[in-house]
Amino acid sequence: MTRVLVPVAILEGETVSAGLMDLLGTVDVTVLGYHVLPEQTPPDQARLQYEERATAALEDLTEEFRSAGGAADHRLVFTHDREQTVNRVADEVDARAFAISGVTGDVDRLLVSLSGDVAVDRVLDFVVEVVGDREVGVTLLLASTADGAADRLDAAAERLRGAGLSVETRLERDGSTFDALLDAVPDHDAVVMGESAPSLRSLVFGEEADRVASASVGPVLVVRADEPTDGDAG
Amino acid sequence: MSSEPTGTNIEGEAPDAEPVVETDEATLTEDAELERTLGLGGGLAIGIGTMIGAGIFVFPGLAGAEVGTAATASFAIGGLVALLVALPTSELATAMPKSGGGYYFVSRGLGTLAGTVIGLSLWLGLVFATAFYLVGLGFYALDALAQVGVTVGTSPGLIVSVIAVLAGVGFTVLNVTGTENAAKLQNGIVALLLSMLVVFLAFGMLDALGIVDAGTPPGEAQDVWSVVPIMSVAALVFTSYLGFAQVATVAGEMKNPGRNLPLAMIGSVLVVTVLYVLTIFVATSVFTQDGLAIAGETAMVEVGRELLGSPGALVIVVGGLLATMSSANASILSTSRAIYGVSKDALLPRWASRINLTYGTPHVALGLAGGPVIVLAATRQVQLLAEVASFLHLVMYGLMCVALVAIRRDRPDWYDPEFRVPGGAVIPVVGALASFGLIAFMDPLSIAIGLAVIVLTAGWYFYYARDVKLKGAL
Repeated sequence: MTRVLVPVAILEGETVSAGLMDLLGTVDVTVLGYHVLPEQTPPDQARLQYEERATAALEDLTEEFRSAGGAADHRLVFTHDREQTVNRVADEVDARAFAISGVTGDVDRLLVSLSGDVAVDRVLDFVVEVVGDREVGVTLLLASTADGAADRLDAAAERLRGAGLSVETRLERDGSTFDALLDAVPDHDAVVMGESAPSLRSLVFGEEADRVASASVGPVLVVRADEPTDGDAG
Repeated sequence: MSSEPTGTNIEGEAPDAEPVVETDEATLTEDAELERTLGLGGGLAIGIGTMIGAGIFVFPGLAGAEVGTAATASFAIGGLVALLVALPTSELATAMPKSGGGYYFVSRGLGTLAGTVIGLSLWLGLVFATAFYLVGLGFYALDALAQVGVTVGTSPGLIVSVIAVLAGVGFTVLNVTGTENAAKLQNGIVALLLSMLVVFLAFGMLDALGIVDAGTPPGEAQDVWSVVPIMSVAALVFTSYLGFAQVATVAGEMKNPGRNLPLAMIGSVLVVTVLYVLTIFVATSVFTQDGLAIAGETAMVEVGRELLGSPGALVIVVGGLLATMSSANASILSTSRAIYGVSKDALLPRWASRINLTYGTPHVALGLAGGPVIVLAATRQVQLLAEVASFLHLVMYGLMCVALVAIRRDRPDWYDPEFRVPGGAVIPVVGALASFGLIAFMDPLSIAIGLAVIVLTAGWYFYYARDVKLKGAL
């Protein structure tokens, strides 16, 4: 079963919108409650003080996910480094995607970005699984100047239609991929995008997904890149 | 389980004994996980960053003034003692990679009384050490003022005290309110200092050996190559080797602790020992004992001036400011972890490790670190502060070695270190003897203050926590 990791800054009162919970009703969810500590504070010290409160809040949240449909569990982590924690737990629970929580009502329309260097197959498979047999429309977005971009976009759309989804396409020929994505966000309730390899740009400006989330207000689902093959393969 | 801590303190608080599973990336408790986020680089930066402030920038003048070039032997002896303790500490830390470092090992190996004494002495020892670093910072700040042409009037000593106290207040407030990640800054400062020192020492060595002539006067210090003075200088400068134990206080946050803890502790001791010996050699080649004595705490600035002119002096002033700041800051961080370790085991009230939600920082523990530091820094007693800090640490070092021998003898089933000290009991026994032996060469006043602290902490145990049982509990 496909699993999505939902990181939540649990002690800072971050919550998950009902729309995102419904959207994820078709998949399994691991709620990752985390609390980031300054380096002056040993994580164990925070656990001693906050564990009960955080666990209670997490259990409530997990219960809400369950009543929205899928199986759900939770993890609680005290850390100095949010990114390291999200990546570690995502690996351990073998999550296909993680969610950046945002504000949204019912999700009627998804914006799926295929721009850039992402694993298109994984993104499409994930979209099919999340939408399931529900009435959620999908807009496929590709911002690319390459020849054959239109063909790639059509092929992707055909694949989703074959799975029974209602699909529109949108091809952007100029401007940055980031601007193209933001321009397309209105009329959509949530964004699905692939995880791109860390680049210089993401080091300077932050992860693209985080920038999209903060610029678009709504939730963003980031489909993780292929995990490296395990040691036992060789 | 029989090895769980039992009993309560006078307020009825019991030690927090959450069963945990340690992995290379996190500590797993029943309901939560604690991410390990410090890498080898971060561990080395804590160790080296804490140590070089004292050994390179404050002690060369004081040590060289006593015994001349023979001070190289004093620093080498200090380094050897530190290494003899760093090896057993590494074994204990890989078996118990927890916050609190030396306190944790001693309390689990030797029981609650020894644990209480060491836990509270580690706190106070770090307080003395931090005060010492801040006074060093004050002397360098005074020199920096002189460099930019501000002359201080009749009482430069008072200025040093004022600067040390202000810096102490500043660091405490910054640590309570600051949520910026200063670790990266600390790593950068340490890297910068190391590269500066390598260049400076390389040039100094060439000059000292006569390969290049920087025009330094032929003023070699007269050397005192006899055992007792060399040992008493070693006891004084041992404060330069306290940093590796600070690495152990953050053991709970080290990634891959089985590998990184021994490398960070032993590596930082080796690196600083080499740097110290070279620094002392250069300093005592450039100046006579009298010259070093006059220049005092900031003698290295004059060494820099002799070798490279005003730019050399400026480099050393800036380096000294950065190094003493990074030592003080790293020590305040370790102090609050030491307090947390003790408070978690109900040897101090639980409120001592409270965290505030506004900044997420342990304000009480930081206050318990910073408050006494400020009072001690105002005294400006460099040698006394350094020796008391060394005394309290050496007692802990000795007992850590004893704890290793005791735990190995008892062979509790939880004891499974990834790093083992080779050679059976030889290194821990020699390490314990060396640690306690070095104390004998200290100034009587320092020994008296150190003993008073030990007696007070033992008294605290009998008053507050005599029913708490920690031995063997993991």
